[in-house]
Amino acid sequence: MKKLIMIVSMAVVLYAGLALAEETSIGFVKNVSGQAFIGRQQKLIPARANEKLLLSDALITGADGSIGVIMQDDSLLSLGPKSRVDLTQFSFSPAENKLSFIAKVKRGTMVYLTGLIAKLDRKSVRIETPNAVCGVRGTHLAIKVDNQDEDDSDISPAKSN
Amino acid sequence: MNKYNAYVMNIKIMIIFLLAVFMTSACVSTTQVVLLPNPDGKVGSLEVASVKGTDPQTLDKPWQATETSALTGAPGTPKVMDEKEVKAIFGQALAARPLPPVSYIMYFSQDSADLTAASKNLLLEALKAIALRSSTHVAVIGHTDSVGSVQYNDKLSARRARAVVDAMVARGVDSKIIEVTSHGKANPLIPTPDGVPEPRNRRVEINIR
Repeated sequence: MKKLIMIVSMAVVLYAGLALAEETSIGFVKNVSGQAFIGRQQKLIPARANEKLLLSDALITGADGSIGVIMQDDSLLSLGPKSRVDLTQFSFSPAENKLSFIAKVKRGTMVYLTGLIAKLDRKSVRIETPNAVCGVRGTHLAIKVDNQDEDDSDISPAKSN
Repeated sequence: MNKYNAYVMNIKIMIIFLLAVFMTSACVSTTQVVLLPNPDGKVGSLEVASVKGTDPQTLDKPWQATETSALTGAPGTPKVMDEKEVKAIFGQALAARPLPPVSYIMYFSQDSADLTAASKNLLLEALKAIALRSSTHVAVIGHTDSVGSVQYNDKLSARRARAVVDAMVARGVDSKIIEVTSHGKANPLIPTPDGVPEPRNRRVEINIR
């Protein structure tokens, strides 16, 4: 019961914080090492600590890169080298019962620790890859996608051949 | 007749060979999913299915893993992996994972914005958590119980939040990383009718990320 109160109060706190943000940020970059980028509206932005994340951003790392982010629901997502994860859908409005997170792992390695969205609605977190779908219930997972298709032309037309 | 059979057989082998080549080149990607124990040691569960949602496999034991087949796209029978092997594959992603955010609640006496002895101890813990995370996101939110007017409680909750922020800044926290808000009596932890004293609602919440 105490735990539940804590969770609900944290959800309210986070929701209040979210409502105050000037643009709807879905999370922020906590740490970066080596080459790491945010793919946003067909541009590659070098990722830096504290950079806000927006809906539809892609996280991309180079051969020596890694990146760790904290989402608005306090879930934690991190990528190893040569990876790409698209943050396709994210709603965190407990008061309106809008809760969902869909991440698409295109290639490489990702570790995810669920946050409040998975605690409040056990069916609302989904991780997709080119050949699998993961339904996540309050948990911690690692996922590796071997994919020879490294086409990022949707983000960075200049880099595609 | 024998010659004809051999001919058909050759064609059959050829077709199977071509199909195998085609299928492996068409489905180049595979997915491996591993269930990790939570940082607190508990183990959750997850379900892995094909893109079409078929052939689901449930992972509910630590270090249990499933890999999709490149041929059929179906997740394979779960196997428990060696922890060392998992750490070798995912070492860099694991090293990049931020520390989980942490929350503290400080309680106040009725009609007071003074930090209690217990709150001062909690403050030290919060300072440690801020340092450990090199945190740049600290939220401080003041609240009251439902005794008194809205206006009075708005001011009281703001004073409580301010007292916590001041104590943090006095101990070296950069004020720029603190986002301070106050909710008066609007967001009780324990809902009560108006005018009810409730110690658990006289509080300041601190969220450190």
